[in-house]
Amino acid sequence: MTELLQYIVNGLVSGGIYAIVAAGFITIYNVSKVINMTQGEFLMLGGMFTVTFIGAGIPYFVSIILAVLLVILIGAVMQKFIIGQAKTNNPISLIILTIGLSIFIKGIASFFWGKDPYALEPITSNDPINIAGISIAQQSLWVILTVIVILIGLWYLTEKTLLGKKINACSVNQQAARLMGISPAKMMMLAFAVSAGMGAIAGIVIAPLNVTSYDVGTLLGVKGFAAVILGGVGNPLGAIIAGFALGLIESLSAGYISSGLKDAIAFMVLIVVLLVKPTGIFSERSVGKGGL
Amino acid sequence: MKNIGKGIYVYLALVIFAPLLFQDDYYLSLLVITGIYAIVAIGLSIVMGLTGQISIGQAAFWGIGAYTSAVLTTKYEISPFLALIAAAIIPAVFAFILARAIAGLSGYYLAMATLAFGYIIQILISEWESVTGGATGMIGIPSIDFFGESELGMYYLVWGVVTVVLLFSLNLVESRVGRAFRAIHKSEIAATSMGIDVRKYRLLAFVVGGLFAGLSGGLYAHYVGTLDPQPFGFHESIVFITIVVIGGMTNIWGALVGTFVIEMIRAGLTSLSDTFPALSGDVDTIVYGAILVLIIMFMPEGLVPKIQSMVQSYKHRRSTATVVVQKNKERETAR
Repeated sequence: MTELLQYIVNGLVSGGIYAIVAAGFITIYNVSKVINMTQGEFLMLGGMFTVTFIGAGIPYFVSIILAVLLVILIGAVMQKFIIGQAKTNNPISLIILTIGLSIFIKGIASFFWGKDPYALEPITSNDPINIAGISIAQQSLWVILTVIVILIGLWYLTEKTLLGKKINACSVNQQAARLMGISPAKMMMLAFAVSAGMGAIAGIVIAPLNVTSYDVGTLLGVKGFAAVILGGVGNPLGAIIAGFALGLIESLSAGYISSGLKDAIAFMVLIVVLLVKPTGIFSERSVGKGGL
Repeated sequence: MKNIGKGIYVYLALVIFAPLLFQDDYYLSLLVITGIYAIVAIGLSIVMGLTGQISIGQAAFWGIGAYTSAVLTTKYEISPFLALIAAAIIPAVFAFILARAIAGLSGYYLAMATLAFGYIIQILISEWESVTGGATGMIGIPSIDFFGESELGMYYLVWGVVTVVLLFSLNLVESRVGRAFRAIHKSEIAATSMGIDVRKYRLLAFVVGGLFAGLSGGLYAHYVGTLDPQPFGFHESIVFITIVVIGGMTNIWGALVGTFVIEMIRAGLTSLSDTFPALSGDVDTIVYGAILVLIIMFMPEGLVPKIQSMVQSYKHRRSTATVVVQKNKERETAR
């Protein structure tokens, strides 16, 4: 029983990160109809910048803030000068474009930081806490807390503020939004900035649980994308639930079947779900054609 | 055959006489690797260019082919040529099953499903240690005796296969099947209403793509002699996509040209990294990434179609120019 609880806790921690990545995908997708495959690289950049700033002697929390701001800037610049300029709305071209950007960022990162892994100090001490026989790393609690704060913050932003209403307006009907004096271009840039910021924070809080290196972003990004597909493209709640589900599937299969096969099992579940329901579990706004 | 055009003669001459120009084993080995990649790329360009689907898992078929041939020759001592046939058929069967399963998907869903398939296969290859040797891989895969076990023999074998694959694909494009492919790419709904069985043709494209990738994987295994799971993942799948996108997705020749461009870049980077060790990381991905972004943004049709249209407009301009000159002359003689 404690074993099972332990796996569930582990699953919720990684699932929370997938949920944030997935929420980032959806935030961008709903406004600009782009599946942004660089989402995972935002996490990598967040972690690596923080490590670098701390290495330069900047205090821990200042480093984190600087890293997040820098990644937000990168996200916004990327949207304004590259993705926003592409004159195509074909999902395959867009996916190739953002994959290109993502391996470009990864290559630059390997050039600057090399291939060695880096360690980041946890927010509080390294000693795990014991609750009812389950040992939880203190950092895991910080991860869960961060996930909750980010997701609530995102919900508040999109549902309760005027800015969120503007973003929603653009995702429903860009033409009409423009007539109401909202600039879709600005909202798209904002969506990229928000996603980049969320990704960077997620990347920073999980870095201490493991090591971080130039290539951690790819798999995290793919898992987040998998959560988006599993939940149904364009459906934020579905994607978040799917993110947690994916984390649980992985941690349970790592515990009970084989840790080497955990990713393969998670991806097999994804394919099986697509066989049964080609538009994800919670379906979506527009069907089939990649949502376009 | 008659629709393929004159390009094929130039191509054949180049393939036959290239070894005379590059007698050095290093250049021959580059050409062999180029040929091996070109086979996969031609298959992928049928999937991506002709039916407008995407496969971010093509390296998985390549890996299945490589391991099939390697296991059959080392563990069961089957002749490499028979093993190559199996290396083509088994990935094609996988492609058939995958394509049947995901027949209803398109756009982002299809991208994710093929991406997931790629990861699954790479993980299974590394985990199935009793057969594949796991992460350490396999060694001592016999090389193929094609008129002697030489670099030159391998060159002619690989480029012979490239030629067969190329001719098959060029013919496919000009056939009824190719027209159906293009109709599906333009509009699935219109194609369906014209009586084209869209699912059947999309399935066919996937199977052909998987078959070519598998055959190429088998050749790769025998050529390199050792295998490990590392090259059969996401990174290589992206390289294949880059090749097809550079050359021009809608053109079979594009796959060939794209392979040459990418292999030249790769060879250039490798020799540069000897002098500048800083370039040894994943620096090649910077180049591939930049290429993908620039092509999609500024030249989405790719190199070969771009060059073709430039040549055509040049010819057109010249012919209109001669017409004008002739008319002026006629006017003068009339006076």
